[in-house]
Amino acid sequence: MPDTPQAIDPRWAWERYRPTDAAPWDIKRVGHLYRRAAFGASWQELEAALRDGPERTIDNLLRGRADRDADELWTLLSRGTSQANNGEQLPALWLYRMLQSPHPLREKMTLFWHNHFATSNAKVRNAGYMIGQYELSRRHALGSFRTLLQEMSHDPAMMVWLDTTQSRRGQPNENYARELMELFSLGINNIRRPAERNYTEQDIREAARAFTGWSLQNGQAVFRENEHDDGEKNVLGQRGRWQSRDIVRICLEQEATSFFIVRKLFRFLVSETVPATAELLTPLARQFRESDYDFAALVERVLRSNLFFSAQVHRTRIKAPVDFALGIVRGLEGHLEDANPQHRLGTTALASALDGLGQKLFYPPSVAGWDGGRAWLNGQTFLLRQNLALALTSTTDDRFGRRTDPAARVRRHHRGTDAAQVDFFVRLFLQNDVPASARTRITDYMKNAASRSYPAFWTSEDAADHRTRALAHMVLCLPEFQLD
Amino acid sequence: MFTRRDFLKRSSLVALGSSMPAFLGRTAAWAQNSERPGARDTILVVVQLTGGNDGLNTVIPFTDDNYARLRPTLRQPREQIHRITDAIGLHPAMNGLKQVLDDNSLCVVQGVGYPNPSQSHFRSMDIWQAASTSRELNEGWVGKALRHVPAASSFHLANQNEAAPLALTGSPVRVPSITSLQDFQLRLEASGSADRRAQQGIIESAANPTSNQSSSLLDFVQRTAVNTYASSRRLQEIGRTYEPRVPYPASGLANHLRLAAQLIDGGLGARLFYVSIDGFDTHAGQAGTHTNLLREVSDAISAFYRDLAARGHRDRILIMTFSEFGRRARENGSRGTDHGSAAPMFLVGGRVRTGLVGAHPSLTELEDGNLRHHTDFRQVYAAILDRWLGVPSRQVLGQAFEPADVFRQA
Repeated sequence: MPDTPQAIDPRWAWERYRPTDAAPWDIKRVGHLYRRAAFGASWQELEAALRDGPERTIDNLLRGRADRDADELWTLLSRGTSQANNGEQLPALWLYRMLQSPHPLREKMTLFWHNHFATSNAKVRNAGYMIGQYELSRRHALGSFRTLLQEMSHDPAMMVWLDTTQSRRGQPNENYARELMELFSLGINNIRRPAERNYTEQDIREAARAFTGWSLQNGQAVFRENEHDDGEKNVLGQRGRWQSRDIVRICLEQEATSFFIVRKLFRFLVSETVPATAELLTPLARQFRESDYDFAALVERVLRSNLFFSAQVHRTRIKAPVDFALGIVRGLEGHLEDANPQHRLGTTALASALDGLGQKLFYPPSVAGWDGGRAWLNGQTFLLRQNLALALTSTTDDRFGRRTDPAARVRRHHRGTDAAQVDFFVRLFLQNDVPASARTRITDYMKNAASRSYPAFWTSEDAADHRTRALAHMVLCLPEFQLD
Repeated sequence: MFTRRDFLKRSSLVALGSSMPAFLGRTAAWAQNSERPGARDTILVVVQLTGGNDGLNTVIPFTDDNYARLRPTLRQPREQIHRITDAIGLHPAMNGLKQVLDDNSLCVVQGVGYPNPSQSHFRSMDIWQAASTSRELNEGWVGKALRHVPAASSFHLANQNEAAPLALTGSPVRVPSITSLQDFQLRLEASGSADRRAQQGIIESAANPTSNQSSSLLDFVQRTAVNTYASSRRLQEIGRTYEPRVPYPASGLANHLRLAAQLIDGGLGARLFYVSIDGFDTHAGQAGTHTNLLREVSDAISAFYRDLAARGHRDRILIMTFSEFGRRARENGSRGTDHGSAAPMFLVGGRVRTGLVGAHPSLTELEDGNLRHHTDFRQVYAAILDRWLGVPSRQVLGQAFEPADVFRQA
């Protein structure tokens, strides 16, 4: 796929995608949609989406399904983690919900906001607060950014993370005011006019005074009038006796905020390599402002767009560790709810593997979140990815056992012959985005492996299963699988 | 035994030479007789203190009354401060570095910063890592330096959850990040050695770049893969065990520095290392956190220095610490400090000028409440590039900076 910068017509880009002969609704586009708007697809989901067409498939992803049992289970599990203040359980807890969720897009966009309002339990040290912040982001993940930004200022985890609880009249702490402007709303440099800065150091110092007076009592944000600096502040050219909500309002009145959020969403949903030029972002930023920051409408516009389904953005992101790992698990139909406990997949081992890959949920490396993109891959994380793929496909790793056994999946989907198995995994995991040479080598491996000698104590089924598992692992080790 | 297979493998490595880390393409045969700086196979270890280290409570002007005034709760007790001079000393937790000072191997450059300092963590960190204040920063100073020392190899010793730093980009070959040697290998599940070779062959050959679009993401993944598979094979050959000459403390930074010592000892020609330690953004309740961090830094660097010195590398090593900024002179109301600007840097090694370089910034002539810098950090970089690595600093820094006087005359 080409990723050389070419002029993209912004009008065409955000118009609704309709399948054509040149851009048919095919397996590649289905895979793409499920990678970006969910955490990858199972075989059944790929097939169903192909039949349903884009409109209905996207409707389903946007709406999700109601699942009261899953919600109740979540309440139970998260309460336990909160009460025990078991921060180390948090990543596994969320991974569980990501896999189980009848509305994966909501979890995906919650992850977007977790990376945006990146808060780490390494400092907060309160699992209940972290879950509270997650719930806040999740509630508005496909809702109003205005509400989310307002509520985030008084979210207990955020207040501890950026020291709002420490900020008093006469002694303002600048931490939150700075990151609100730099990372949560405006951004440092103006996207439309790159030579301009969006705010000054003075704006931060003034805004910090407006956030004084808030503290936590029994896990709730409370406002103490006598600790609040109620004097006049001059922020971004507006003068008044501003309180915290006024500062957030003023930030939202700046055009820069719409561009900043839209650019981040573009990188998350569309492409890390296609330049997010001001021209390309303008229609989205305008819609975002004019809808009073309706984030759901923004996400929908992007997911249904021409550009989203174009070859230019196909596989132009590096998979985040969560996408890498869950993509394999979903493809191999790892089950959380299986009558046989031997087949029930937990998420603790996945969570600890993701730590090594650089993405420990609820513990982002800094308030700027994960860098993402090429930064995900270095020598170490690359090898750990390949080794995680092995752990999931080999059945000899105690952590995963036979819970995601590729051999069992090919039997379920009746893929007997070598050629059918190669087709199956290449289509399932890569939607056929594989160079012919690699495909030939893998097919040859299957052919030659059949004539290879195996340990005398193996049955012929052992040998066949081993080949299938090795096949699945090799497909997952292809460089194309690292691309989202 | 040397088989035809080995031969073919090596030939394919040669063909890919340009994307290979230097240590794969050479043995430990470096020029030792030249007098040129850098020719002595000097080593540089960059230690990044992430979050903005409070310089004023690291290198302390303990006789200045303004210190006590600006730091009513955070000031350190005078009698516990490790004296460098009669007026300036190290934080009480830094006895490790005090030992290094007593061994004439610690240089403290005071008042380091840059004009119009940014108080954004991310912008300021980029500026330090790129050694530039341009708006777009895409290449790092270590990466650019590596273009001029083609035979040197370089490692990023990464924490979990830590991406490769901007400082290392721009290098002719990708600098490998390593968390532990044990995890730095491709695992396979094979029925026998023939099966293992077959699988490995397929996986590794798929990594060979397939397009000539060197900017594409796929190409990036392939280069990372080729480079990693080759590095991994070589690193598995160096000793799994390493016996340090002195005990290292149990800390993340110490583990990384011990791994650096192991790689130095492994004869890979490893000369540039990058490590970081996070947590210096102490806006509230700073005292305990900062004490622990400074102790970790000081003890780890001291152990590493003494280990390498005991192996005869005392005059080959240079450890440099930096942080993206210092902190506000006056503590805030939360017993912490907000973002500031100028701060000290440490240089450790047998060839550094011992003691203080430059005056402590004034505590009364502040700029927006922050200490003013008198030494540009690129002057320190220039000294390291020109006089330590033997790399023309102008080409890395884009302009000439007067090198700071941080090395002893030869």
